Amino acid sequence: MGHGKSPYLKYADPAPFPILNKHSHYDHLFEEMHELEEKGEILVYRITEENKPVQVYTRTGRIKTIPTAKLWHHKSCGQCGNIPGYPASIFWFMNKFGYDYLNEPHQTSCTAWNYHGSGTSNPVALSAVWLRNMHQAWKTGYYPLIHCGTSFGSYKETREQLIFNKELRDAVKPILKKLGRLTEDGRIVIPQEVVHYSEWVHANRHKIKELYEKEGKAKGIDVSNVRVAIHNACHVWKMMADDYPYDPEVYGGQRPAASTAVVKNLGAQVVDYSTWYDCCGFGFRHILTEREFTRSFALQRKLKVIAEEVKADLIVTHDTGCTTTFEKNQWIGKAHGMYNPVAVMSDVMFSALACGAHPFKVVQLYWNCSNYEPLLEKMGITNWKELRKEWEDTVKHIAALEKEGKYDELMEFFKEYDLYEPYSRTSDGFKRRRSATADMPLFKS
Amino acid sequence: MEGHPYGYNIPISEKTKSVPWEEKVRVIEEVKSDFRYEEFLFGCLNCGVCTASCPSNRFFDYSPREIVQRFLEEDIEVLYDMMHEYIWACSQCFTCWIRCPFVNNPGGLVIIMREVAVRNAFEATKDLLKPYGRVLLKVMSTGNQLSADMLQPDFFPDWGPKMLDNMENVRAKRMAVPFDVGKAVKTAWEVSLETAVEMYHIWRETGIFEMLEKLDPNLYNVIMDIVEENEERWEELMEEEEEE
Ligand code: SF4
Ligand code: SF4
Repeated sequence: MGHGKSPYLKYADPAPFPILNKHSHYDHLFEEMHELEEKGEILVYRITEENKPVQVYTRTGRIKTIPTAKLWHHKSCGQCGNIPGYPASIFWFMNKFGYDYLNEPHQTSCTAWNYHGSGTSNPVALSAVWLRNMHQAWKTGYYPLIHCGTSFGSYKETREQLIFNKELRDAVKPILKKLGRLTEDGRIVIPQEVVHYSEWVHANRHKIKELYEKEGKAKGIDVSNVRVAIHNACHVWKMMADDYPYDPEVYGGQRPAASTAVVKNLGAQVVDYSTWYDCCGFGFRHILTEREFTRSFALQRKLKVIAEEVKADLIVTHDTGCTTTFEKNQWIGKAHGMYNPVAVMSDVMFSALACGAHPFKVVQLYWNCSNYEPLLEKMGITNWKELRKEWEDTVKHIAALEKEGKYDELMEFFKEYDLYEPYSRTSDGFKRRRSATADMPLFKS
Repeated sequence: MEGHPYGYNIPISEKTKSVPWEEKVRVIEEVKSDFRYEEFLFGCLNCGVCTASCPSNRFFDYSPREIVQRFLEEDIEVLYDMMHEYIWACSQCFTCWIRCPFVNNPGGLVIIMREVAVRNAFEATKDLLKPYGRVLLKVMSTGNQLSADMLQPDFFPDWGPKMLDNMENVRAKRMAVPFDVGKAVKTAWEVSLETAVEMYHIWRETGIFEMLEKLDPNLYNVIMDIVEENEERWEELMEEEEEE
């Protein structure tokens, strides 16, 4: 076990806010990581100047380095599948800020949603899936940014298990070797920091505010009257709890800072409610197969409390499952006399709206089942009906062209329309015929 | 009253009673031999903080404190019984973990128990995971757990009338996302063939396919058809590229 110094371990001195534990077992993790690297067992994938790093505080006062540029997007299946405006808003900001990034098809989900829901995996498989994805990022030279909260929590946990368990490393190494997923000299690639997109938003909160001042306000958008209740995601801040941003500006460093900080920075009103620490009721398996639980929990412990105590206009989230749970389980409250309509979206979606992103084309609110219309009005996006019509006309146009088999016209249309050329910047010139999903009859998209 | 003197007031099932003692010990030992077990369980004050903050405790007859206590008391009978249905109430939120003064991780113990229940293909586990088959099919064969086409309004009438709107013209809507995300309908994103093939290798080497075969042979066959087809396609492509 390593007790030496680690180049990855830095503390703020003095501590920026009162802290419970001055050090965490995470210190030991960084020391051990450093030692394993010195022994030649692992390669630590470092965050460099190219990644335009920003430093943030974590719960123990440790300084965490957040890369903001040259990122490899580790997408979330729940977000892409169910909340397309979530990753679209992330990419919108990346483009706005002129950050280089890579969005490849050479990525699987973390598969941890499935694991937490059904138990049909194990630590060796989870480690191998994680390390394969990380190796792919390392190979491209782009630093991994994890979109999903469950991936983030699971990867943080998996990293700890790997660093402290030789047996786990020994079990996973031959698998990675066979896949060609070790370095040339046989080392496992482990990133210096596991980074969640909400940390990226947090690190960029001042830039986001600048954009809001410049472009959002110019469009007549004003969020100063918007009442926002924050819901932090369990897998983001309760799993490996010491490794997430805390900041003196947010509840004196006594609650997770990301999301709250950006909303405050934009000048919206963060409103506090008594069940802020509770989960949403998602439950991994429950949202699909124990729906009464998910619904009851979301309605009674969160939506009702938020409505009665603070009358929020919006619940801001930073993960996939919570967003889905809160926005999908409102309408059914009518059956119980517990209908408390409120808008629900993630921090990055709300930020994008504030900065003037199209509510339907970019933030993709068409998908959202929550009561977002009054929020748009309150923010000053009073032309949302026209914007919605514009979006619907686009969709109809695309659907008609496709139906008539006018593919050339469709391609022409997208040339003008797309902000981002599909897969033009993969690491290896990805060819469509190499798709695992597009050509399969069952999954023909 | 039948039940446990310390609070586990669910009667031990007849099924559990009929299982030979040695078998119950074997299963619990399998849980305890997991390398995470020692990292998840320390002392316990029996303070109930975990249970007081547990979301599942509010709506199910379920208590994380109870699980921790049963392990510390080595209550084989109750633990074995819990492994059939009780543990599936947990929401995996880890509120218990962040709040426990002893840094116990009851949610973590549950995940080990679930994994062992699946590996041993308990009947109750099979029944419980039946409705979850669609998800397993998707994640095992494509590496994506969720896709737009899984959110059919018929399955989710309780999500309200906006759902109907959402799913209309869904393909065109997805095509109109102006970034290369969320464009696919039947997967979350397009996964490259080599990535899927690498993942199949991981499933094979780590015993996941084997686990699935025991859990649901029909589902396993459907998954293996896709896996084999993709693996063949990949080999063919490799051969073609070599020739080129
Ligand atoms: S919070 Fe910890 S110490 Fe208290 S009852 Fe739960 S497991 Fe035991
Ligand atoms: S992880 Fe499970 S046991 Fe722990 S608080 Fe959450 S639901 Fe309860």
